Parts: sequence; structure tokens; C-alpha cells
Amino acid sequence: MKMNGISKTLAAGIAGAVLLAVPLAAAEEIYVPNLSYRTGPFAATGIPLMNGQRDYIEMLNARDGGVNGVKIVYDECETGYNTNKGVECYEKTKGKAIVTQPWSTGITLQVLPRTNVDKIPILAPGYGFSPMSDGDVFAWAYNPPSSYWDAASMILNHISDGDLDKLKGQKIALLHLDHPYGKEPIPLIEAMAEKHGFTFLPIPVGLKEMQNQSAQWLQVRREKPDYVVMWGWGAMNAGAITEAVKTRFPMDKFVGVWWSGYDGDLKAVGDKGKGYRSISWNVPGDYPVLADVKKHVVDAGNSLLENADDMNTVFYQRGLVISMILVEGIKEAQEHFDTKAVTAEQLRWGLENLNIDEARLEALGMAGMTAPFATACDNHTGHGGGWMLEWDGTQFVKASEHIMPDRAAIEPLEKAKAEEYAKNNAPWPDRSALPCGN
Amino acid sequence: METLYKIFIDPFVQMAAAPDFLLQVLWEGLVSGVLYALIALGFVLIFKSSRIFNFAQGIMVVFAALTLVGLYEAGLPAWAAVPVTLGVMYLLAMTVERVVLRPLVNQPDIVLFMATIGITLFLIGFGEFVFGGENKIMITEQLGIPTGAFELEPFGGFVLIEQKDLTAVGMAIVLVVGLLIFLNKSSMGRAIRALGDDHQAALSVGISLSTIWVLVWFIAGVIALVTGIVWGARAGVSFALEVIAYKALPVLMLGGLESVSGAIIGGIAIGLLEKLFEIYWGQPLLGGNTETWFAFIFALIVLLFRPQGLFGERIIERV
Amino acid sequence: MLYRTAGQFKTSYQSDQALFPVRQDAFLLIFFLLLAYVVFPLTASEFTFKALLVPVLIYSLASLGLNILTGYAGQLSLGTAGFMGVGAYACYKITTIFPELNFVIALALSGFFSAAIGVAFGLPSLRIKGFYLAIATLAAQFFLVWLFEKWSWLYNDNASGAIEVRTMDMFGLTVTGPTASPVVQYYFVLVAVTVVFWLSINLTRGRYGRMWKAVRDMDIAAELVGINLMRAKLTAFAVSSYIVGIAGALMVFLWKGAAEPNLFDIPLSFQILFIAIIGGLGSILGNFLGAILIVALPVIINLIPGMLGLSVNVATLEHINVMIIGALIVTFLIVEPHGLARFWAVIREKLVIWPFPH
Repeated sequence: MKMNGISKTLAAGIAGAVLLAVPLAAAEEIYVPNLSYRTGPFAATGIPLMNGQRDYIEMLNARDGGVNGVKIVYDECETGYNTNKGVECYEKTKGKAIVTQPWSTGITLQVLPRTNVDKIPILAPGYGFSPMSDGDVFAWAYNPPSSYWDAASMILNHISDGDLDKLKGQKIALLHLDHPYGKEPIPLIEAMAEKHGFTFLPIPVGLKEMQNQSAQWLQVRREKPDYVVMWGWGAMNAGAITEAVKTRFPMDKFVGVWWSGYDGDLKAVGDKGKGYRSISWNVPGDYPVLADVKKHVVDAGNSLLENADDMNTVFYQRGLVISMILVEGIKEAQEHFDTKAVTAEQLRWGLENLNIDEARLEALGMAGMTAPFATACDNHTGHGGGWMLEWDGTQFVKASEHIMPDRAAIEPLEKAKAEEYAKNNAPWPDRSALPCGN
Repeated sequence: METLYKIFIDPFVQMAAAPDFLLQVLWEGLVSGVLYALIALGFVLIFKSSRIFNFAQGIMVVFAALTLVGLYEAGLPAWAAVPVTLGVMYLLAMTVERVVLRPLVNQPDIVLFMATIGITLFLIGFGEFVFGGENKIMITEQLGIPTGAFELEPFGGFVLIEQKDLTAVGMAIVLVVGLLIFLNKSSMGRAIRALGDDHQAALSVGISLSTIWVLVWFIAGVIALVTGIVWGARAGVSFALEVIAYKALPVLMLGGLESVSGAIIGGIAIGLLEKLFEIYWGQPLLGGNTETWFAFIFALIVLLFRPQGLFGERIIERV
Repeated sequence: MLYRTAGQFKTSYQSDQALFPVRQDAFLLIFFLLLAYVVFPLTASEFTFKALLVPVLIYSLASLGLNILTGYAGQLSLGTAGFMGVGAYACYKITTIFPELNFVIALALSGFFSAAIGVAFGLPSLRIKGFYLAIATLAAQFFLVWLFEKWSWLYNDNASGAIEVRTMDMFGLTVTGPTASPVVQYYFVLVAVTVVFWLSINLTRGRYGRMWKAVRDMDIAAELVGINLMRAKLTAFAVSSYIVGIAGALMVFLWKGAAEPNLFDIPLSFQILFIAIIGGLGSILGNFLGAILIVALPVIINLIPGMLGLSVNVATLEHINVMIIGALIVTFLIVEPHGLARFWAVIREKLVIWPFPH
């Protein structure tokens, strides 16, 4: 099985060499490292995402010979979701990298101050520190298309049918991983609870208890919350869903963030998980881009996917979207600076001027796959909103109209927290050296 | 005053107010306690016969469960996968004895302990290399383990008892009884105990060190497989399971490193107490997640009064 | 030939007990000090500083702390990472409460906090021995990490739950924070490590060192000859935790730049224990040898496929990595259970009598 993987990689190498022989393809390359985790307790949810990211780039390399003729070298550095190793990977790859994709909120937070000095943009699609949205403070960090606070707000909007005052007197529990990632939505939900008068109960799940959450679910049973919102990852998702089924917690009162909506986690419970919902900024389905990926990468034997059916999962497709965002950033930078091999600083500009609208998605064969969004100088997230997905017993299906976060409520908090961060990490560089616009 | 009330009175008021919930807490605690006890049992067996503090017991659980599921996924029927897994565990026992233990005979305890950590790392890497790092589903139904649940309704509430948890408890009891009979009645079992008492004397009456070590590591492997099946049925099989091995350590402290019955009683006691503490004191007063350390602190306090654990052999020191 | 001891006469007891009875040992030490203080800073790249040199120094310091407890005083501890955490969090709190304080003073003070916690968790050692004590130190490990997670005052109620190091200057040079230059950080760590090692060598050769060794070899016998067991064990815990705490603070402030509670979880404890055991328990030199091995090994293993021209999937590489490290630990223990320091001692012995065999 593994030999197969090696031979696949070798085949990829040969395929790449053949491509390079085409005279059009310049010797220029763009180095795009990914701080991946295909090992450890979080591998289960990491692998499909990283496969998607990788395959999109390999597809472009095979189909178009890269981006505007420049080959993209996609490289992975294994972190095992360990912050420590992640920082080592960052140090190791930063020499040639034009972007850093830290893949964990913990790693993001640690490399955040360094990227200012090293001048490398962080791309953390749908994760990282929510106030990174404030581009005035975090010039080098991007978390499009939605931040965790957006997610929390969208979930609250959805369960209250858009009127948060309806939640008054109710109790909302947040079952979260006891890790920077899981703690991320707490400030926002706390603020919302105070404003709209519902009770907020955070229930942490330690890294050691992910597989055995009986204590947490006993607490759920005792506290009888009206809703359980889950910020889980890796082995925690499957554990929580199994326990929820066991404690007979009603599935339609159980909502997860986008990282807690993985097909593989719910397959374990199958029909019993029916009604479980998860917010998402991509909708699984059959899009034209998938045919290209299948033809140029999967069928060509260049994918690390073990089963071609896995292409239909939410996470694999989200991986494709993530790489799409990065590649669009590269394209913007190429166009603006009129160069092929963009540098890290040029990519920073590119990511700040993303405009992924319906037409662009259509052209990429991704119409409807993700929500359109545009970034700007003071908006490094884009806040594209998302949809609620629902598990129907065998797969995730779209279960709501397009939902938007309550930006008016989030923004002041983002500004305040961003300022606080800059103050705590003084002297934090201002962005006078990086003027907005052109 | 209010704090004192919260510590000393409120938890008991809650227990009395919702007895069905208390029963559920106790049941959950009992089931995890049984599983801790099983892992501790593996430790005790190896410690008894070779004075090796086998840190690799936790990863053996993962490895056994992964092998079972992996074989099933590779196309073997469940009834055949179990004996083949046992064969793999026997092979592992033999390799460990041959490659690691034999060259390290007579080394200080800490070196042997370190060597088992080396084995742990090796098995983690090897297991992920062969089976991949993804979370796997235990083949509960294929093994004939019932998956339904009994719903009892005492005191007007409800208590949910899963059949697979019941099976786990049942299997643990069978395993322990079998093991006790084996250790006390069979000549092999007596040889194991003799070796634990005095290596030199046992060797001089003709007990083969290497045979016994292979046997003991194999039995530990069988225990690991059973633990892997029942724990995997609860929470799936992945490398995150490995951390439950740490839970067996305070069980050992409490029960005593050499005592089989100590491991059982210690395991169940810790399972029950940590769950009660977490639900009634930890979550309301300390922010939860006290299960990571409660067992250790509790065992430490007990140990201050009984330095050899509750059932350990009395420590006699001579100059 | 190089190590010929002929002609080096001892004329007094004092010179016979000197730290370097053989002149060549002193030359070797001077050579390595020159290497560390002059050659490396001139030649190393930023990556070498951050991924090799600074980690080796900090790990060897932590290992020294553990070695004093386990190698000299015979008390097995699995809670090293927890005590490192205490040092790091103490240093963080001190530098945020007194922002004007010189970093060196903050660092030195933070060690006292970890020493105090170390003594508290060392108290059971008066009654509990061997593996029981080892598991008891795990209580410290798990409890402390839990505390770092839950007690938000420790990380100033930071949203991320992590401690972040701000930029601090000393004598006009930036020492900590993202803008600090790796050379400055390297020198800072190097000086700190040199000072602590120098003090420790003297301590272990003196009265306390001998007391600890007596307790390690047989504590009842030690008690019978009049050694105060309580004092010996608790001082060992205090000194060990002090050094370990400083190592933890250095690790966060001059190497990682930030830390979350998980950093101080049990794998770090085991890593330090590996270093101490593979280097050699009860040896000062061993700490360096062990740290060099543990830090350099993964870097080298990662380089091998590239050199052979193979492109291996990262995940597979990581699995193989873990496997190799596990296998190497077992191999090292089989080949030389007393560690690399003993290995060096054997080589040195051979060099001294070279070219004659025994």
C-alpha cells in the first residue's frame, strides 16, 4: 500500500520532468509549502484536506503547466498538529516560501509575530486568529473566506432563525477542543450571550480525552443545554458524535463548525447521526473542476487519495477551494506586478486584492462550490458567509440558504482584540511601509 | 462559607436529587475503570515476571486493535482475523524478547524502562506506516458483540447501559478469572510467579527465562487485544488511544506493582472516583478536565500512607 | 600519542584532585569552548542557530537538571517538562508584572519558583521510592500542565491560552522577541549554560554532590553514616528544578518565542529523560552528547532521502522517522547502557594507553 504511495510520488516526479521538457514552461518555480499533518491523532481529518490542496495544484501543473506558465512546487512539512514541530517547519521552509499555511490555530498564533519580520504572508483559510481579519494591524495574515467568529455568528443566526433575542433564557453549550483552536470562538459567544441574554457553557475536551468523552457528555446530560455547538477536530469529532448518539442527545440540536463536518466522522454512526448539522463555506457536489482533477491527477495516478470516491467528501473539496484561494492570490500578484515568479511580498498584495466573484468561480469550474468573497486592505477575511450542511445518514447535503455572519456585532470586537494583541506584542509594526491599494 | 458549601454539601445534594444520573455516572466510571484495570493487568504481569516496567502496554493495545481492523479490511473474515492477530502478537512477543530483552538482561531497571519507551516509539511509527494514521472503526458487529442498549428507569429517570460496555465488563471478568487460575494452578503460571520472586533461584530449578518472557509478553498481548476491542468499540481505533496507557500508571501505584487483584480493584476504584470527582467537583468548581491528573494525585496521597500501594508486597530494606 | 599522560606528575593531593588531572582534557575543553564561542557564531546560518545550536544548549541544560536528580541523587523523575513549564510561566509573569526588570534577573528569579514547586513534589520521595516515585512525579507533570491550561491568570487571560514573548532589550541589544538576532540569542543562551554548568560541576564535586551519590547508591546506608536524607533529597529536588526551570524559561524566551501548555506535556519529559540516559546518567559531559544526538538525529534522518535522490511522502518519512528513533534508542541501550559518556571514557582510555592494548 505504501509502496504504491512511493511509486505514485515517483511517477509524479517523472511526470513533472516531462512537463519541464516542454519549451514553454520556464525554469521559474513558485515554492508553496504546506505544514501538513498526515500523522497523529488529527491525521484522520487532516489527510483529506491536504489531499485536496495538493491535487488542485497538481491538476494546474498537469493541465496548464502551472499558473501562467510558472510551475508551482507544492511541498509538505509534517507537523502532526504539534505546535512545536509546526514552528520548526516554518523555520525550515521560510527561506524559499512565498506563503506559510500553518494549518493549526496554535501554529498560526506562534508564527504570527515572526511573519512580520520575515515578510511572508500567512494563509489560514477558515482558521487562525479571528481578529486577523483586521488587515490594518495584521498586514501579513489572511484567513479567507470566513473566520471562526463569523462561524459562531452564523451558527447562532441559524439556530435562532436570524433573531438572536429568541435565544433569551436558553442555554448553549460549546463543546470544544482544549486548544487555541477550540478556545477561539469563546470571546464572541460570551459577548453575544451577554447581549442577548442566553446562558453560555463552554465544555472543554482535553487532547487526552478526545476518544473518551463520557465525562463531557454526562455534563451535557446534567446541564441539559438547548443547543450543543461543537468546535472539534481530529479524533474528537467522531468521539463526540458517538457519545451524542449514546446519550440520546437530539441531533438537530447539535451543530458543528466547518472542521467538525467530515464525512468520515459521521460514517461511524451512519443513520443515527441523521440531522447533525455543520456550518461550511463549501458545498459538496459535482463541479466541473472535479472532472479536471480526476482526469489529470487521480486517474493519472498522481494523487495520494486511496479511494477515488473520497473526492466527493466535504473536506477533500474544501482542500481544493483552499488551494484555489492561494492560486487566485498568485494570479492577482502576477498580473499586478507583471511578473511570473511572484515573491512573498507580491503575494501579500495579491491576497489583499482577491476578488473571487461568481464569474470567476464559474470560469474555474467551481460555481456554487464556495461563497464569493473579496478581500481588501482592512478586510483580510472576505467574510463570504456559508451554508448549513446536514448529515442525511450517508452524506452531507446543503440544508440552508446562504447565511451571513452578523458583521456589525463582530467588527468592534475584532478591532478591540486586534489592538489588544498589538499592545501585548509591542512594539508591533504598523503598516505604514505597506500602503494600501496600489 | 459559600465555597465550603459548594465543596462539602452541594455535590451530595445534587447526587441525592438526581439518583438516576448518579447511577449513570457510576456505570460510566465502572466501565472506564474496568478498562484501566485491563491495561494495568498487562503491566503487572510483565512486572511480576521480569521487573520490567513495560511502558509499551498502551501502544500494544493500539497495535493489536489496528492489526485486527487492518486484517479485516484486507479481506479476512472476522473469525479468522482474531487468531491471525493473536499470531501477530505472539510474533511481537518473540521479537521483543529476542531483540530487546535478552541483550538487556541484568541491566538497571531504568534502562529497561527506557527500552520499552523505545519499543513504544517504534510501534507507533511502524503501526502508522503499515495501517496509516486514520481513525478506524472497530469491527464490533462482525465480532458478534451486541451493540444495543438497555434502558433502565430507576427513580423516575433513566440509566443507559450499552450492551457493548456490558460485554466489556463480562470479557474482563472472564479474562481475570482465567488469568488467576492460570497463574495459581498451572505449572507455567507457577513458573511465572517463581521467576518474579527470584530470578536466580527460578533459573537454577530449570525454569527457562526466555520461554517465560515470551509467554508473558504474549499474554500481555492477548490482554492488549481484548482491551483494544472493547475500548475500540467505544471510541474507534486510532493512535490517540495510546494516551489511556497513562491512566494505568496511577492504577498501578494504587494497587501495587505486583498484585493482579490490586490492578483490578485499583482500576475500578480510580475509574469510579475520577468520574465522580470530575462530574461533581471538577466541572463545577475547577473548570473541568480534572481526569488528567485526579488519579495521579489520589494515588500519590494514598501512597504517602502506604508506600507500596494497597496490595503491593511489603518493602523490606536491608543494608 | 595525543593523549600521553607520561610526564604529568602530581606532587600534591590538591593537584591530584584537580578537575582536569590530565592536561589534554583541559585542552579539549578549551578547544570546544573556542568552537562554541568563536567559530560557530562566525560560520553558522540562522537555521543552524535556531534548529541545532540553541536547542542543543537548552536541552543539555534541562538534561543537566534532570541528571542532578536522577543521575546523582538517584530519584527517577518523569515530571521534568512540568517543572520547565513552571520556570517559563514564572518568567512570563515576572516580565509582564515588572516590565522594567532586567531579563537576566527575571530569568534567575523564575528558577526559584520551579525550585519551590519541585521541592513540594519532592516531599513524597521521602517515603516513596523507585518506580512508585516515578509515577508520583507524573502527578506533577499532569497537574501542572492542567494548571497552565486552566489558570488564565498565568497567561494574562490571553485569548489563545498561549504565552507570547514580547521584545526585550538588554544593553542596547534585542534579546527576545521576533526581531532579536539569532547570534545574540545564541550568545545569551551560551553564557547562561556555561555559568550553570560551571556551578553544577563544582556543586557535584563538593559536599552536596557526594551526599547525593551516597543516597543514590543506598539511601539506608547513607542515613546510617549520618547523612540527613531529607536534606539530601530535597536539595537535589530544589537544585534540579531550579536548573530545569531556567531551561524552560530559556526555551520559551530565546528559542520558541511563544508557548502553549501542550509544549510542556509528557513527550518533552521523555525527551529530556532520553537525553540524560543516552548521554549517561551521573555524567556532566553526557548531557551535551545526548542533546547533540537527540537534536541532530531527526535533522539527519530527514536529509537522507534527499541525498539518495528519493522523494518519499512526508507522512511516510515521519513514520519511518519515529520508527528509527525508537529502534536507535533500543540499540543504544543495548550497546552502551551507561550512555555516550561512558563510550567517550572508553575511547579516552584507549587513547591514553595507545598504541599498547591492555
